[in-house]
Amino acid sequence: MIQRPGRMALLLAGLVSAFLLAPLLAVVPISFTPARFLTMPNGHLSLIHYRELIDDPDWARSILLSLRIGVVSSAIATVLALAFSLGVWMIQPRFAALMVGFVLLPMIAPPIVSAMTLYFFLTSLSGVSGAIGYDTWFGVTIAHVVMITPFAVVMTLVALAQVDRRIDLAARGLGASALQRVFKVILPNIRFGVMMAALMAFFLSWEEIGVTLFVTSVNAITLPRLMWMGVHDNIDPAVAAISVVLIVVTTLALTGRMLLQREEAA
Amino acid sequence: MNDAFERDCLEILAEKARRGGLSRRQFAQRAAIALGGAPFALRSTRARAADKQLVLVNWGGDAIKAYDQAYGQPFFKETGVAVREDGTGPTEGAIAAQFKSGKPTWDLVDADPFSAITLGKQGMIEPIDYTVVDKSKMRPGFGWDYAASTYFFSYVIAYDAQKFASDPPKGMADFFDVAKYPGKRSLYKWGAGMWEAALLADGVAPEKLYPLDLKRAHDKIAAFKANVVSYWGGGAASQQVMLSGDASMALIWSTRASILDHDSNGQIKFIWDQGLISPGALAVIKNNPGGKDAAMKFIASTSDPQRQLIMFNLLGQGPANPAADALIPPDQRKYNPVDPANFSKQVALDMPWYSENYSAALDAYTKIISA
Amino acid sequence: MRSRRPTAVSSFASVGATEGDADRIAAAERAARSRGASQSDNAFVTGVCLMTPLLAFLVFVYAVPFIGVAAWSVTLPKPGLGQYERLVTDPLVFSVFLRTFRICLIVTVLSVVAAYAIAYVWVRGTRLERRLVEFCILIPFWISILTRTFGWLALLSNRGLINTWLQAAGLIAGPLPLAYNEFSVILGITHVLVPFAVFPLASSMRSVDERVLLAARGLGASRLRTFWTVFAPMTASGVVGAALIVFVFTLGFFVTPAILGGGRSIMAAELVWLRMFQSPDWGLGAAISVALVVLVGALMAALFRLARPALMGSSG
Repeated sequence: MIQRPGRMALLLAGLVSAFLLAPLLAVVPISFTPARFLTMPNGHLSLIHYRELIDDPDWARSILLSLRIGVVSSAIATVLALAFSLGVWMIQPRFAALMVGFVLLPMIAPPIVSAMTLYFFLTSLSGVSGAIGYDTWFGVTIAHVVMITPFAVVMTLVALAQVDRRIDLAARGLGASALQRVFKVILPNIRFGVMMAALMAFFLSWEEIGVTLFVTSVNAITLPRLMWMGVHDNIDPAVAAISVVLIVVTTLALTGRMLLQREEAA
Repeated sequence: MNDAFERDCLEILAEKARRGGLSRRQFAQRAAIALGGAPFALRSTRARAADKQLVLVNWGGDAIKAYDQAYGQPFFKETGVAVREDGTGPTEGAIAAQFKSGKPTWDLVDADPFSAITLGKQGMIEPIDYTVVDKSKMRPGFGWDYAASTYFFSYVIAYDAQKFASDPPKGMADFFDVAKYPGKRSLYKWGAGMWEAALLADGVAPEKLYPLDLKRAHDKIAAFKANVVSYWGGGAASQQVMLSGDASMALIWSTRASILDHDSNGQIKFIWDQGLISPGALAVIKNNPGGKDAAMKFIASTSDPQRQLIMFNLLGQGPANPAADALIPPDQRKYNPVDPANFSKQVALDMPWYSENYSAALDAYTKIISA
Repeated sequence: MRSRRPTAVSSFASVGATEGDADRIAAAERAARSRGASQSDNAFVTGVCLMTPLLAFLVFVYAVPFIGVAAWSVTLPKPGLGQYERLVTDPLVFSVFLRTFRICLIVTVLSVVAAYAIAYVWVRGTRLERRLVEFCILIPFWISILTRTFGWLALLSNRGLINTWLQAAGLIAGPLPLAYNEFSVILGITHVLVPFAVFPLASSMRSVDERVLLAARGLGASRLRTFWTVFAPMTASGVVGAALIVFVFTLGFFVTPAILGGGRSIMAAELVWLRMFQSPDWGLGAAISVALVVLVGALMAALFRLARPALMGSSG
């Protein structure tokens, strides 16, 4: 590959990386504090918050719930966004801007308004069946899909923007039907972009708190919801412990992958 | 219905009947329903669960476990009705949204009494049934139509005890005096208690505080702005600002101040002088899923002095029932906002005034602090 | 092979097209353009079928209840445009909007620049560089926004890590006011959004055609010149996407600014929360929200029009 990042680029990236990692300087020590609230440990280190993660089943339950909702909602959002963006890209309708604007509405509107909107929708859904509306994992998934699809739409539009229309045109000229063009010509070219969209969608769902706060009560408690329940009163350092655990797991995974690939290459 | 569930229902009904929670007629009715049960089994699980559950919404954190331990578990043992805590924080708007949806999922809310009054007047809150809830177990002056007094806390001056060891502050005038007591301050973001603090510091006598002279209070606060490092919005932030040394004095909740006193080994202390007593209360949303009766019974059960003592031990809340004061061990009484010795030094916030004026006052206050 | 100017925004995107294909594809293009209506009908139907699911879903789940909420702005407390009048004359609303847009702009610029640097290395660096950067991008996602916010307080406050170190190193006499102000708010928000901005940028960088860069260098352009005049423009769509995402995301932030800003930098999202929940005035809250949507919508429409060529793809 030519044009590798030069020294300036590497320096800048290095500074930004340091910036991105900076909060770890606080988060890791805080997770070992013996106190009951977020504070740096003054000398004494303690594992009580890690113990709490194991002892209190709520933490594991909410992590699993967040994972489940994250995977499902990001999958649905990515598919919906991809289909929509493909449609817009292919037929370039006259009111494209308006339609894209409409689809981005949940992203633009203040989160509180989106939260209330979804709250009213889900409570009416609960009238139909208590299993799919307010305060259920299904209801939360729907709410997440609504909130993250706009971002996925932006991502897929960006990916499609990089595709040279002429290969599509060429395929058309060679006799391919629209569906064939979608699956055999366009999609393979935006694979990376779609992956990025899905990844972003997952993290958006994982972090989602604004709307989640209003569409859950005592049953469907995602991880951010569990953490939020302390924010007015007393933030549990267990939230710092969770972050450390997740980071360690990710680090191991990334290191493992790196070592595996090095072995393959060698 | 399957056998085990049927048996369970009947057991619970029997329990209820034994404890006097059901009249014989009610028991017979319900047993018939349980046994004849098929059509009712088709009702959604939500409805059935709601018959035996109350959702209590409070401000989260330690309060969740505390309410469960002090009130929820005993009530469940007595009546078979499970109480589940939701820590979202029942703001006035959130309660209104619950009611407006037509099908509230919240039963009980730990709301500001003035919010309950405001919402009650709009028909969203169930009036407290004082034939079930015993008003005589509450302190005089603190029983309202739409909310039952359940606890107390105060806005108190917390200060850096190391910095001001020789001459600790003695009142609001000292709080607003940065020459004598240098350093930054922290105030409450949502205004309550802050107007009274400003007026007291400005020399208004406690008996003459209400109705509040908002103009005078706001002028004082506006003039003082440069000395305020932050306006805390929640308990955690208020603790943080004192612990980190960013403020040398702050007006914070007595519950947080007690914790700071304990956990900082006396580095941060607080005084009751000119504290502002704020009542906490439970309200019931109209059309609540668990039913008005169960909710009122629950509230009645919270008057028990022993249970309120547990809340004091876990959260530092002042008990609503005067009989509980004597139960607090002498060395802990300094943390009780409504202990007679502390109560006399403080001023109580006037709930009817807040019900009328809070919105507009907060509006003006927010404009001043965010400019 | 016909020579192509290195500045042409073209790419025989990665389907393995070789030099000889260029002529064949050109011929096929000409054939396709002359094909006429029959092909395009097929495409039109497929296109509509693709677009409908999302549109229908949003109309049903979001648009209908949203209109109900937005309608409060003209029905509560009584019908009419009174709330919008209040909006225009209310000094708090104006100052909040101004502050919000200002912070959004600053955060967007900082985040996109920072994310660009990271994305560049992530996509084009050596394997080791890529792995290291990937680590730095993914880690922040596992620290919840709430934890990060208090983490920043621990770092930036008077007795926090940074002030302690700087004082211990003798670089400053007294603590710097790094927390509870707009500086920490911008820092906190930027930190959350840089990893998100990386995604669209990386996506667009990935599909930059190597050979165009090679051509530019081959014609004698320096590294820097190649970067500025060839590489960067080809990532335009990514930059637009990243800027959009960051800007809109910042608009919706309210916990981080509330805590890190010391309660003083009230931003639009928090103002709406105030009006909907703390001291409810749903009519005004709805009016503020509608105003925000209209403003941002207008901004985005302008952006979309400007960026349309970049976003809708080149056609030669």
